[in-house]
Amino acid sequence: MAKWGMVIDLEKCTGCQACTIACGMENSRLPGEHWQDVIFFNEGQYPSVQMKWFPRPCQHCENPSCVAVCPVRATYKTEEGFVLVDWERCIGCKYCMIACPYGVRFYTEEKPSYGGPDVKQVFKSNDAHSWNPPWKMPDSREDWNHGVGVQPHDVVSKCTFCYHRVSKAPKGTADLDPGNPAQREFTPACVVTCSPGARFFGDLSNPRSRVSKLIADKEGVRLLDQLGNKPQVYYLTGSGGAVPSSHANVKA
Amino acid sequence: MFPISEPKHFAEIIPYLANLWREEGTMRFIGTVLNLGHGRSAAGLWWKLCLATGLASGGYALYMLVTLGHASFNTSSDGVNWGMPIATYVFFALTSSGLSMIASIPMVFGFEQFNPIAKRCIWLAIITLIAGFAVLALELGHPFRMLWAMPTGLQVRSPMFWMGVFYSIDLVLLLIKFYLLWQQDWDSPFSHFIGAASFVAVILASGMLGLVFGSVVMRPMWFGSFTSIYYMLTAALCGAAAIVVTTYMAYHFDRDRMPEPLRSMAGSHELPMVFATLIGIALVMILTRFWTGLWSNLDGFEGFHQLARDPLFHLEVWVGLALPFVMMISPSMQRREGAQLTAAFLVLAAMFYNRYEFIISGQFVPMFKGSWVNSLVPYTPSLTEWSLTVFGFSIALGLYALGEKLFHLSATPSGEPAVEQTAEAAA
Amino acid sequence: MSDSILNPNVTRRRFLQATGAAGALGAAGLGLDLGGGLSTLTKAHAQPAGAAGGETVITKSFCHQCPARCGIDVYTTNGRVHAIYGTLDNPLTQGKLCPKGHYGVYLLYDPDRFKSPMKRTNPKKGRDEDPKFVPISWDEALGIVAGRLNALREKNESHRFAIITGRGWGASDVGILGDFGKLYGTPNFNLGHSSICSDASETVKHIMDGHHAYSAYDYPNTNYLLVFGAGFLESFRPFTGNMVAWGQMRTKSPKTRVTVVDVHVNTTGTAADRLLLIKPGTDGALALAMGHVILTEGLWDRAFAGDFTDPALKFEAGKEIDPNTFNEKWVSGLAEWWNVVLKDCTPEWAEKITTIDAADIRTVAMDFGSTKPAVALFERGASAHTNGVYNGMAIHALNALTGNMFAKGGLRGYQMKTAWAKPDVKAEEFMDDYAKAPERKKPRLDGAKTEKWPLAKNMIQEIAINQLKGDPYKMDTILFYMTGPIFSAPDCKKWEEALRQVYVIDTSAYPGETSVFADLILPDHHYLERLQVADTYPFQGYPISMIRTPAVKPLYDTKVFGDTIIEIGKRIKGPTGEYYKRLGNTENLIRMLCKGFEEKPGDNGVKDFESFKAKGVWYRKPYAFLQKDGEFYEWDGKGYDKHLTPEEVKQKVMPTATGKFEVKVTELEHYAEYVAKRLGIAPERAPFPQWIEPRHPGGGDLHFVSPKLAGQAEGRSANLPHVSAIIQPTQGGKRNVFLEIHPETAKKRGIGDGDRVRIKNDVGQIEAIARHFNGIRPDTVALPMIHGHWAQGRWAKGRSPTASTNEVTANVSEPISGLAVFHSGKVFVEKI
Ligand SMILES: Nc1nc2c(c(=O)[nH]1)N[C@H]1C(S)=C(S)[C@@H](COP(=O)(O)OP(=O)(O)OC[C@H]3O[C@@H](n4cnc5c(=O)[nH]c(N)nc54)[C@H](O)[C@@H]3O)O[C@H]1N2
Ligand SMILES: Nc1nc2c(c(=O)[nH]1)N[C@H]1C(S)=C(S)[C@@H](COP(=O)(O)OP(=O)(O)OC[C@H]3O[C@@H](n4cnc5c(=O)[nH]c(N)nc54)[C@H](O)[C@@H]3O)O[C@H]1N2
Ligand code: SF4
Ligand code: SF4
Ligand code: SF4
Ligand code: SF4
Ligand code: SF4
Ligand SMILES: [Mo]
Repeated sequence: MAKWGMVIDLEKCTGCQACTIACGMENSRLPGEHWQDVIFFNEGQYPSVQMKWFPRPCQHCENPSCVAVCPVRATYKTEEGFVLVDWERCIGCKYCMIACPYGVRFYTEEKPSYGGPDVKQVFKSNDAHSWNPPWKMPDSREDWNHGVGVQPHDVVSKCTFCYHRVSKAPKGTADLDPGNPAQREFTPACVVTCSPGARFFGDLSNPRSRVSKLIADKEGVRLLDQLGNKPQVYYLTGSGGAVPSSHANVKA
Repeated sequence: MFPISEPKHFAEIIPYLANLWREEGTMRFIGTVLNLGHGRSAAGLWWKLCLATGLASGGYALYMLVTLGHASFNTSSDGVNWGMPIATYVFFALTSSGLSMIASIPMVFGFEQFNPIAKRCIWLAIITLIAGFAVLALELGHPFRMLWAMPTGLQVRSPMFWMGVFYSIDLVLLLIKFYLLWQQDWDSPFSHFIGAASFVAVILASGMLGLVFGSVVMRPMWFGSFTSIYYMLTAALCGAAAIVVTTYMAYHFDRDRMPEPLRSMAGSHELPMVFATLIGIALVMILTRFWTGLWSNLDGFEGFHQLARDPLFHLEVWVGLALPFVMMISPSMQRREGAQLTAAFLVLAAMFYNRYEFIISGQFVPMFKGSWVNSLVPYTPSLTEWSLTVFGFSIALGLYALGEKLFHLSATPSGEPAVEQTAEAAA
Repeated sequence: MSDSILNPNVTRRRFLQATGAAGALGAAGLGLDLGGGLSTLTKAHAQPAGAAGGETVITKSFCHQCPARCGIDVYTTNGRVHAIYGTLDNPLTQGKLCPKGHYGVYLLYDPDRFKSPMKRTNPKKGRDEDPKFVPISWDEALGIVAGRLNALREKNESHRFAIITGRGWGASDVGILGDFGKLYGTPNFNLGHSSICSDASETVKHIMDGHHAYSAYDYPNTNYLLVFGAGFLESFRPFTGNMVAWGQMRTKSPKTRVTVVDVHVNTTGTAADRLLLIKPGTDGALALAMGHVILTEGLWDRAFAGDFTDPALKFEAGKEIDPNTFNEKWVSGLAEWWNVVLKDCTPEWAEKITTIDAADIRTVAMDFGSTKPAVALFERGASAHTNGVYNGMAIHALNALTGNMFAKGGLRGYQMKTAWAKPDVKAEEFMDDYAKAPERKKPRLDGAKTEKWPLAKNMIQEIAINQLKGDPYKMDTILFYMTGPIFSAPDCKKWEEALRQVYVIDTSAYPGETSVFADLILPDHHYLERLQVADTYPFQGYPISMIRTPAVKPLYDTKVFGDTIIEIGKRIKGPTGEYYKRLGNTENLIRMLCKGFEEKPGDNGVKDFESFKAKGVWYRKPYAFLQKDGEFYEWDGKGYDKHLTPEEVKQKVMPTATGKFEVKVTELEHYAEYVAKRLGIAPERAPFPQWIEPRHPGGGDLHFVSPKLAGQAEGRSANLPHVSAIIQPTQGGKRNVFLEIHPETAKKRGIGDGDRVRIKNDVGQIEAIARHFNGIRPDTVALPMIHGHWAQGRWAKGRSPTASTNEVTANVSEPISGLAVFHSGKVFVEKI
């Protein structure tokens, strides 16, 4: 049984946000519903100012606090390590959003944060879907029990580790390499498009997988490890410095 | 006018109403129902007033929810996830718990002198809980799903799951207890058992509600066992304040209309002292939490600094709690009706804002938004969120008034106090 | 499951459909059996684009969001485009994309798109005048245009018809305009936007090494990258390619070290090892000082640049050398340059001009000079200034001094031509007497290549002024293709006045500021609906060409621009009409062009139109030339074995007057008078890279720059909420783009973080929201040209800034290249 995980090399990451856009496109997300966001920080005084950033998908924690708090088990973790939301169970209490230390969850019913008319109104849905984008993923791939597709109203959504792609990968796959035509279509969208190749996806339970080796060789670290969520997303900080620990660039 | 013989059992209610309807004809029937109760009283006014505001605010909220859905809230994934409706729910739920706690003083711990407020406490506990649930239901994305998803999910690790469980138990026990008192059953072993059970349930319920917040280590302003204890103890305070206000309300804010032993109890200095103690405890907890937060620079505590800058927070602490505290311990004031009432009102207002401020400030620092969020997240409740709160209050007050009209909320084991007569005489 | 391309059983087949031929797999060495591939190949082609039945079809195209032209795979299911990814076997893309590459799905379904040809019914023109467009048929629309054009010809005034173009793609769109101009008879057949883009860098290469083109750099093999005013990880082309290379450069050993010169902290500067925050417009001084250090420290490449006759001799600061003691190799005029300019350009001198510590200048120069191979590049940041070409010359010269020209890991070379065949319908044969008549030789409307702008390729920013002045003449009809100077050109409001005076035709697929002033709309297909070809943006130098194949049938009643021109042509009286009837349509043209692939098949097996469509890309490696240790070689099919004589180098590699890399520029010797007049430098100094004080037009106390952000697709992404929502922090904020301002600078003006401010100078004024940012120079503010659109659709409007940044950008141009000096302006900023 694979245990999928992601490795993000911050030394390579250019902060281009192609992962964010590709994720939104592949998964028919609302504008601003950044399942994969790139978080920026800046500190220091001119001219010695540093800007930091890191891409932040759902960490698919080994020990997911979102699952623990969900009163109805709408959020669950699969044997292969996906943490998913069952849109047919979710009651929209938002407790998981409160309890996710990484802020990766989104509630469907919100005022547009992007300004201008609400796309949900412009591309209205005449069925249970919360909206009906003309570019939405093929209906055959939609899978509400795994939080895949255009969501119904009043539920919470999050990065699925591209469940609809990855779960189709042949059993025993160690790594998903978008450069390999045979694996490309199973690889998460954000990994496929990442130009500098800063993102890697593979089986953490396989010590021979590329991801396992990278974590070992390049001292992979996890976000907010002290919280004990044990992310299955690792960051290689190299000379790129530590992953920012601050929640927000708050000037309190 | 049509002689109303009050039903004595649930079973009687239906035939009674049917009969009433036959006698009165539809229009007058509705009128009479709206005017149910023992003749004219302040409660009647309250009832109509709340019915009106309830319909208005509830109507508006529903309209917005149907057209815009929860997008009509000002909550957001990048900012405050839980807004004013949750705060309102917490306020009511805890007030309810507090009331059952007060009710237990005579019924579980046998302080007979508190008997006269027991029945009212329980009724209030029921309706505040209903008000809370109503608001929560309108806040949730899919409230009805909960009914099947909770039991089938059985996520025993979720504090919210247990909160649900214990508040449901609490509600059921409250209903039973109220029925028993209605039946004038104060002393049967069963009645005692229910009383005890409901006391346990309510402690657990408020504790679990505290755990919902106290368990989330990633929200440092909430995290810790403190929150549960804080919720339990401040619940008692809200309960006390609520019962003081409503008891006076029942007697037209006129202590002389109160029957003995209520009158002497209100005039005594125990009640104020109990009240003052509860206020004191709340003050201590709020302030210790506050300065600990200010002192520490743990990431996420910036909300405390924000609170320090928030005038409403200072109103809450100094005017809403410290002032009443002083009033209730000062020998010259504590017995005065006006002082007691003012104190109770102030405390209720303060505690409402306290629930709000506690919940919102805990989310001031969003999780990993970096420079997307260039300072603490802004949040002001939308009109819809406000209307939900107003809705909650009109439900509570309305049902309370109805209770006053329908049931003898001041009933005691010794039977009916001559209250009605007094009231009639006065009227 | 059969309808899911994720079904393992069908995936490989899909891939084969996608890439079109097993050859690719062979090439990619994946050893997949050809049988399975080929058997389904035919099926794949039998299948029309966007076939129904839940099958996901991948069609080939190339991106439309910037000039890099990345090859893309377009995923279509049930006639619905739902995904775009990079083409795996396209060398430029390597399966990757920058954020903008994915915008296509949103652009395709933009609800504000024009749905059919339309004509204006409201004669009044103005920003707030509703054109009151009414839909008309293509026949009527084309008839109207042809009517006007034929009438002009009859009046002997065909020159009063102009086509103004921007992001042209290749042979099947702007490529056909040359013949149109020739046949119809107008010098204004293709007034390009390159002079508001980045002409200065092309000009610099043109005058120094003979290529009026962008350069190809060998990033994967370089060990040092020195970036002057280019958003290498935000914009510099090819953006995707840069980022792919970045991944290689930063993880290979030795790791490529990077120094970036910019005016604010951006992702490029942050990701680099060193960021130098320079005073706007002073990059030339910095580069000169680096050249100075490289020579005084003896770090120049002797094999390429030449050497002293006597090893004892050296370059010493402030001291001239005797030109006869220095043998120049491939760098012509080095000794003179040193004597006239460079000897005095010490780091200390440069520090005063650039505000960068002399010590840092020296360190970077030593690193750069002592690390091989290395690349020094620049783009608009360094060149969009009144002294832009001279700045660029100083920077480009660094590549020559260090022998990195045409070298492995250096500036590899220039784009080679694709083996297109010549169309077998020849325009020359259809020119009538009118077209041949001498009075057709008229000056261009924009004044480019006239005595006003002798060296400029285009001067789009002059058009509005010239039109208003009637100089050289007043226009009758202007047709716009892929450009909207009314928003993106300096002092853009002038265009509003100018466009009132002419009959305006817009071919945009979208509403925009231009269309508000348009009399006729001839809407283009969306790029995913098109058949269209292009040559690559310079990458590794070897030729690459791409094709757009329709992923879906056009959603609306639109026409691809090339066919619109051909259809207009058919309606021109006389042989012109004949020519276009023979040409038929763009597909026909493309088929003719592809014949060239028959004798020169691509490395990926593309040998004709069909295989081109299937694979989306044709390319032939490698680059033809290589410079090694001061000698030039040509690829002979096996290796770089053919040694080139200086004569051959002059012909094939460095076609300058001297056949060498010129630091004493012959072209500028010819134009010394002009340069002296425009830039006020002594004619004898004109040919040398040197420091010239920049002019900062506009008036104001703060430098004003408008950098491109990774999420910005020039002026074309403002109506996409998905894009507004990701625009990078510091400058973006979900809804708006902010004015970056240093906290101290802001406080002095009482401007708080997030306050509304007015940006003004003698050109105009706009409003924006200020964002305090420690990472920008205190003497500079930055505001990208993303929002401020007032007519681009429901999501574009109502954002901050309130108008185009170009309403406060003075219309001043660098005199040699003609590049508008977008980064040179000055403004006042005040709290509202
Ligand atoms: N202040 C400031 N100004 C700048 C710049 C800057 O950085 N700052 N950048 C400069 C540079 S480098 C450039 S290249 C220019 C770019 O500026 P322009 O040359 O004006 O190009 P865009 O604004 O990207 O798009 C121009 C027009 O193309 C139309 N269009 C979009 N899609 C299609 C299509 O499919 N078919 C057709 N026919 N038309 C279409 C749009 O409606 C738009 O009006 O701006 C320059 N101006
Ligand atoms: N994401 C994205 N990429 C694009 C485009 C786009 O619209 N969006 N457009 C494409 C086009 S048409 C073009 S022409 C290219 C342009 O590519 P670039 O030339 O890279 O783009 P600019 O942003 O104009 O300039 C680059 C940098 O110059 C800096 N700068 C400004 N003034 C100075 C100065 O005086 N000195 C120095 N050293 N730096 C300075 C700016 O801060 C900016 O970071 O980008 C292409 N790629
Ligand atoms: S796509 Fe890759 S490089 Fe770009 S931001 Fe995402 S992870 Fe970083
Ligand atoms: S990152 Fe958040 S949402 Fe994702 S698994 Fe961990 S806790 Fe759950
Ligand atoms: S919002 Fe949905 S997924 Fe999240 S905790 Fe509530 S029920 Fe579970
Ligand atoms: S794994 Fe898939 S869902 Fe998750 S961030 Fe990447 S693209 Fe989005
Ligand atoms: S670099 Fe340019 S062409 Fe390539 S994907 Fe990005 S925007 Fe498109
Ligand atoms: Mo450009």
